[in-house]
Amino acid sequence: MTEALRTYGLLFKWECLRLRSTLALIIVIQVVLAIGVVYGLSFLLPDISGSSALYLATGAPTLSLLILGITVVPQEVARSKDTGRDQYLRALPLPALSMLAASVTFWLLANLPGTALSLWVAKLRFDITLDIDPLVAAVIVLVALTAASVGYALAQSIPPQATQQISSFISIGILLFSPINFPLSRLPQTLQTIHEVLPITYMADLVRWSLTGRATHDPTLSFGVVGLWCLAGLLISYRVATKRR
Amino acid sequence: MTALLSIRGVSKIYQRGIVANDDVSLELEAGQIYGLLGPNGAGKTTLVSQILGLAQPTSGSIHVEGVDVTRKSVVARKACSYQPQTNAPIEGLTPREAIELVGRIRGATRVDVRRRAEELMDTLQIVEWADKQIPLSGGVGRLTSFCMAAVAPGRICVLDEPTNDVDPLRRKLLWKQVRFLADAGSAVLLVTHNVLEAERSVNRLGIMSGGRLVVQGTPESLMARFGVISLDDVYARVVGPGGVSSKEMAG
Repeated sequence: MTEALRTYGLLFKWECLRLRSTLALIIVIQVVLAIGVVYGLSFLLPDISGSSALYLATGAPTLSLLILGITVVPQEVARSKDTGRDQYLRALPLPALSMLAASVTFWLLANLPGTALSLWVAKLRFDITLDIDPLVAAVIVLVALTAASVGYALAQSIPPQATQQISSFISIGILLFSPINFPLSRLPQTLQTIHEVLPITYMADLVRWSLTGRATHDPTLSFGVVGLWCLAGLLISYRVATKRR
Repeated sequence: MTALLSIRGVSKIYQRGIVANDDVSLELEAGQIYGLLGPNGAGKTTLVSQILGLAQPTSGSIHVEGVDVTRKSVVARKACSYQPQTNAPIEGLTPREAIELVGRIRGATRVDVRRRAEELMDTLQIVEWADKQIPLSGGVGRLTSFCMAAVAPGRICVLDEPTNDVDPLRRKLLWKQVRFLADAGSAVLLVTHNVLEAERSVNRLGIMSGGRLVVQGTPESLMARFGVISLDDVYARVVGPGGVSSKEMAG
């Protein structure tokens, strides 16, 4: 365990050093995106009610964590496969999922300033009252890790050339057809049924609960569903990360 | 002496029947440099991937320090340090950072890694690039990749074309370091196209063609066997038109 933590720390350092020259730009983009989702969508929905504003304000961080996992992590994996970095690191004595853990840690930390600012903007714009639960950090890590493990497993299983198209396609699906920025009841019945199995609605609900204390589902149920998806994502990621040609 | 690396009857047949290697057997002891020669597509890189535990043979066994790494690939990753055929991907890092990070990941202490990294860069005369993040020239990149493999060397060092793009002066320095690794107790598997350099540097060598290890032995024994005076001629007799490998395959 100590060895796993030590190598995880070294890989995280590798990530920070590798991306240091673009770190400032990455943070600025994350901030603009996060604020843009809150502020921009409010133009789309000018007469926003209290409930809609709540969904919009707490949906922005969820969306940002999902995009991190489904878009950023897979594209990093694809790039890593293209440059040979993935193959090189596989030949080093590293635990199977340490690359995923280091990547999620880096992107999550880069994501935090944007998430915090988007909440502040939402508070100012919609007069939302925040009631932050002590479990908020656990919720954010769980949601990010679940999305990232699914994205990682996907990117390791498909050719790098296809990764960008597929991850963008999934992101658009999440943005338009997932109950993150609006309630599940607004979707057609078929999509509602699908979302009862997928973790997205539970992720959004957990984030909303951890930030405002308000939720549609019992948080224990949401933790259970997202936790199971996280476990499944990690198991599949482990399988593809240790698969030999 | 017990072999550090023992490969027995290894074959790899991909789907659609493509044969990557076919019944390859070789042994490598501590202190030895084994040169693996062969034309493009001969199966050398597949064999390297199998030794590192990245590719699974269809049949046969690969033992590293007595452990079958076809079942326990983690043993291979700990025992083998590796210089890939293309330069190690170190975008965004300086050579010093990359070398030290790999040394630490391979389990060496911070102090040892710093000392050894400095020593290697100094010996190979790349100190002036040590702290530069700019894209490195091919040769400096290659030497940095070598340092990453040599900073905390495994019991087995797998070096894939270590001298490509390296200038003649530093090439000599690099060969000295390869010999140093072997003298310090590692077994070195050297994959190369450079037959002349291999002749001067290796203890044993094998020539692969069409996935098979067609001949192997000491440079002297192979030259005697074919009645020639250079490894270039041995190589031509084995893989050239009408050579041993084509006859074997035709037969």
